[in-house]
Amino acid sequence: MKTILITNNPLAQKKLSSKVETHFHDVDYTKVLKIARDYIHKGYRLLTHPLSGSVKPNETPYKSLIIQTREQTKIDMDSLLIIEQSLDTTKKFIDNMKTPQWNERIKEDFQTIDISLIESVLDRII
Amino acid sequence: MRLELGNILINDVQFGDKTKVDNGTLYVNKEELVELISQDEKIKNVDVELARPGESVRITPVKDVIEPRVKVEGPGGIFPGVIAKVDTVGTGRTHVLKGAAVVTTGKVVGFQEGIVDMTGPGAEYTPFSKLNNVVLVCEPNDDLKQYEHEKALRMAGLKAAIYLGEAGKNVTPNEIKEYENLPLLKSVEKYPNLPKIAYVQMLQSQGLLHDTYVYGVDAKQTLSTLINPTEIMDGAIISGNCVSACDKNTTYHHLNNPIIHDLFEQHGKEINFVGMIITNENVYLADKERSSDWAAKLSEYLGVDGVVISQEGFGNPDTDLIMNCVKIEKKGIKTVIVTDEYAGRDGASQSLADADPLADAVVTGGNANEVIELPPMDKIIGYTEPVNSIAGGFDGSLKEDGSIVVELQAITGATNELGFNKLTAKGY
Repeated sequence: MKTILITNNPLAQKKLSSKVETHFHDVDYTKVLKIARDYIHKGYRLLTHPLSGSVKPNETPYKSLIIQTREQTKIDMDSLLIIEQSLDTTKKFIDNMKTPQWNERIKEDFQTIDISLIESVLDRII
Repeated sequence: MRLELGNILINDVQFGDKTKVDNGTLYVNKEELVELISQDEKIKNVDVELARPGESVRITPVKDVIEPRVKVEGPGGIFPGVIAKVDTVGTGRTHVLKGAAVVTTGKVVGFQEGIVDMTGPGAEYTPFSKLNNVVLVCEPNDDLKQYEHEKALRMAGLKAAIYLGEAGKNVTPNEIKEYENLPLLKSVEKYPNLPKIAYVQMLQSQGLLHDTYVYGVDAKQTLSTLINPTEIMDGAIISGNCVSACDKNTTYHHLNNPIIHDLFEQHGKEINFVGMIITNENVYLADKERSSDWAAKLSEYLGVDGVVISQEGFGNPDTDLIMNCVKIEKKGIKTVIVTDEYAGRDGASQSLADADPLADAVVTGGNANEVIELPPMDKIIGYTEPVNSIAGGFDGSLKEDGSIVVELQAITGATNELGFNKLTAKGY
């Protein structure tokens, strides 16, 4: 089975790419979710929740999530439902208020939290 | 398991030569408390400030709020596995400095949250404005990483609460309340005609700044399990959750969990409150399946007619909430879920990130996106500059006169998902 980390977090790429195949994209939070959705349509399933963390989608610029291939070729409807609901929620938040332009120190904090949220999972699945 | 809570009513807090409770006033020896907290070499500097109800004071960024308690009779100590040694708590007698709290503040990360106003419109949204607060303003060593910083603050708050709680050890309480839960079969035998109800409490457990500890164990490494509600009154569950001020459960919330209190209140009258299950809210979807399977299995095993499920946090836990609800309903057990909403500023958007037709009985703690203007206060305890980088705030949130325009999510406890607040919605 193939496991992929999809992320826009440069710290995740730096720290986790030696542990798992990492696809870094220099895109916004919403786009990361859309990339993951496209993979789900190709037969992958979600391993981590797209809205991991209580930091809101219009608060943190960073998102990392883990997907995996499945033996069945059919679409995993649970994963699809979760990613679509997460995209709806993200749109709701960003329409309400745009993500602020954070300074470097704050960006680093968000990157660290983003990694923390998936690191414990990564250690268990690889 | 039977626990007596002896409430010592505190209506004022003052600095004094000796830490003691005298005639409803908590006196705090500041030097001694500073000395105690400074023993942690990770903390460079600590100051202690007092904030009383009605004062023109803003405390921010608030990390945790803790009620001072002390074990008077029975095994174990408050915060077992963290401060006291591991021992089953929840029996005997515990004294509570009711009306007092320790509040920790500190800049763990650059973005911030957690406002407690002691007066004005903001004070109406947080229960902590009604307390006599002993506030720890902690400055860590310069090179301290976020993990260590959060832990240092967490431990400082707990240690201070234990220190103050000790002052109530030999004081005669103003009131004594008794809480007792019987072994399951005896409870069923005692009230055979009342509906059997359990409480499923979901604990935040996602990672850095999103953790909860049960007897010192990180909740993300646990399976759903049974716990006696009185154990929680002795501090079996503590908060390491610093994110999402409005709907995180502080340690104070855990100690005073209103769902537990209300279920006890109706126990033997309208319901038979037979037990409690704790479960986590992990990021790994397989964990969600496993934990919610387990919560449903335990509910079925208890043979209950209904459960109350409370959530903590937003987004990721919405999925756990709905999984718990659906799986328990499918066992033929009625559920009521307690949550809060992010429904946009006008309240018209979808409230949760997940939903199911079986989730047809919902209690809400309010809409966290609602906007409020907080007027300037005479005094700020903590740090003022993070307000522009506060969750629920935005560029320009902090005005020149010191007033702040923020969403309710910035206010500590505003939309608490245990119902420890005043906001709700009613449907007819």
